[in-house]
Amino acid sequence: MTVKKLSGAEIVVEELKNEGVKVAFGIPGGALLDLYEVLYNETMIKHILMRHEQCAAHAADGYARVSGQTGVCIATSGPGATNLVTGLATANIDSSPIVALTGQVPTSAIGTNAFQEASTFTITMPITKHNFLVMRTEDLPRVIHNAFYIASTGRKGVVLIDLPKDVQANRVDVELHPGDTPPGYKPNIIPNKVQTKKAAETLANAERPVILAGGGVISSGATDELRNLAETLGAGVVTTLMGKGAIPETHPLSLGMAGMHGHIYANRALNECDALLALGTRFSDRLTGWQLDQFAPDATIIHVDVDAAEINKNIPVDIPIVGDVKLAISDILKWLEKECIRDNSVWQKRLKEMHAACEECICDVWRAGSSTSDILIKELSNILDSNAIVTTEVGQCQMFAAHYYMTREPRTFITSGGLGTMGFGFPAAIGAKVAAPDKKVVDIAGDGSFLMTCQDLATCVENDIQVVVCIFDNRYLGMVRQWQELFFDKRYSQTHLGITPDFVKLGEAFGCYAERVEKPEDLKSALNNAFESGKPAVLDMIVGKEDKVLPMIPPGGGITNMIGTERCKHV
Amino acid sequence: MQTRVISLLVEDNPGVLTRMSGMFTMRGINISSLTVSPCEKEGLSRMTVAIKGSESELEKVRKQLSNLIEVLKVVDLDVHESIIRDLCLMKVHTRNTEARTEVMQLAESYNAKIVHASFDSIILELTAEPERIDRFVELMKHFGLKQLFRTGITAIGIDY
Repeated sequence: MTVKKLSGAEIVVEELKNEGVKVAFGIPGGALLDLYEVLYNETMIKHILMRHEQCAAHAADGYARVSGQTGVCIATSGPGATNLVTGLATANIDSSPIVALTGQVPTSAIGTNAFQEASTFTITMPITKHNFLVMRTEDLPRVIHNAFYIASTGRKGVVLIDLPKDVQANRVDVELHPGDTPPGYKPNIIPNKVQTKKAAETLANAERPVILAGGGVISSGATDELRNLAETLGAGVVTTLMGKGAIPETHPLSLGMAGMHGHIYANRALNECDALLALGTRFSDRLTGWQLDQFAPDATIIHVDVDAAEINKNIPVDIPIVGDVKLAISDILKWLEKECIRDNSVWQKRLKEMHAACEECICDVWRAGSSTSDILIKELSNILDSNAIVTTEVGQCQMFAAHYYMTREPRTFITSGGLGTMGFGFPAAIGAKVAAPDKKVVDIAGDGSFLMTCQDLATCVENDIQVVVCIFDNRYLGMVRQWQELFFDKRYSQTHLGITPDFVKLGEAFGCYAERVEKPEDLKSALNNAFESGKPAVLDMIVGKEDKVLPMIPPGGGITNMIGTERCKHV
Repeated sequence: MQTRVISLLVEDNPGVLTRMSGMFTMRGINISSLTVSPCEKEGLSRMTVAIKGSESELEKVRKQLSNLIEVLKVVDLDVHESIIRDLCLMKVHTRNTEARTEVMQLAESYNAKIVHASFDSIILELTAEPERIDRFVELMKHFGLKQLFRTGITAIGIDY
């Protein structure tokens, strides 16, 4: 290693390149002038100028979720950093790897309420996996290396580096690319063999095995292993919202998403199983419902998670396995080679019936034409290739998408699961398209969500990032309206959004292709027009004002107390 | 609700205390006592945290603490297998000679040191297990406790 005299900003850029960073999403500012000065001539890192810092974080998040690489976002001190906060919290709760760089006032001014000063370090502490306030330029190589190491290993997450102006400007002699890692950080990757053996024995002897796949299956790249395991065992596979894409939802053993807005049969499978293998999931309340004793009541529960703190947090577990999901499944498969797997043909038959019933139910919706929203999603599912990437906003549009969109490949269904951030889908789509320029990227949006981050249409047009925003336009904050309808006597307090804006004109004003879709049958040609236009596009899809996402677990209910199941086939 | 004592070995970085106490706040757990001090290793500090809670709550806390990047080691101290100490300084009102004599006698029986005396008050120092200090404080209240300062507990495992 050679010692070089470099400015802090030069060190940052050198280290980013060393970590393999190709793209950064950001907005400059007074406290970042030094860094942007270095980025000005940089050819290895493409910087995409966003129009709001929240979008920079979501774009980095979308990039990370699609590519599996750590996303990078940049914001200036004070308001720049506080604008990032929502995006960082969104990524961190969904274990998406991001490194955020923020400008800070000079070290001598910290604590004086200087212009554009906010204590980014303390503000972001609870919403990041780790964060750094760098007070000495000499520390930059180590800090940046550690930031990427922490963000991308173990349970992935967000790491923020706060960079005071003078730390960027100072020139010092440094050794680049240090290899050392933090002494207190040793993620538990290797699963315990005794535990995986126990898991294999339990699964081999189960009469009614079910696998619950969470986001961890996708982030550890274990989708092939999962499929192999499910087929070996003849186990039904249900997913969480974050787990959509862990198994093709067209697979005969797949029962789709479980939980509050899940498929009734996915929930039923959880209720009926006698062995449950939960992989990379944190048993969120949106999965389990509120009556935890009703969750998989007859099952021996095996829980695999890379974060030991998730084991026994929400659901008591019989066989805990701390480690990487991919390694754990591989170990279980190895043990299973030595086991005699019990004949479970009765359960196989039941799973087939349930899978068929779910499919038929979706087809029924299609035929009945009762709610335009779910028909539109089903139509999208038919039109888009299996490798197309769908991002979602939050609320009804998200749950319609989660329920009816058939996800066939991992990293193609990108949604804010934990934080439920409105305005996430569109900027995440920008990041997705940058990560996968050859794939079609569609944001399934609500009219409420889209208005929260729509200014970044400018970013799309300027940088030729072709994403298609499909707005489910019901002029309501639909999910809240649905709850008001069902549980608050139709008192629609502050959920009606009026008639503005005209989304077609809005899209056109930014230079996008835009079209209004009045009827679901017009979606196909509109989408074609959008993709053919070669431009970012806004499709304003008019949907039923009072469409509801059903079935659902009502507040306080358990996983078997779904309402709105009338149109579901009963098997 | 039992008192649990956790001993932590942490990196001596700015913000590590905020991060640690923030974790407790986030998870809705109240810290009943917290001490931080340098330790035998350069660049590291030792923290002793006492919380009130059940076994399962303690387990969750232990895991969340282990997840903090700057925490190197987390040990639940078994209160029966550990030496636990608290230091207390108190100013006791002694309105007459009789009170003064009585306070001095009690202090002696508790091994509390008289560190300062003035015309109408005595400052006492007592290092002991927290329960013993509690009892001494109760006694002194009888005479009139003007001020009370306690450091919070520090603890060392016998086998650890």
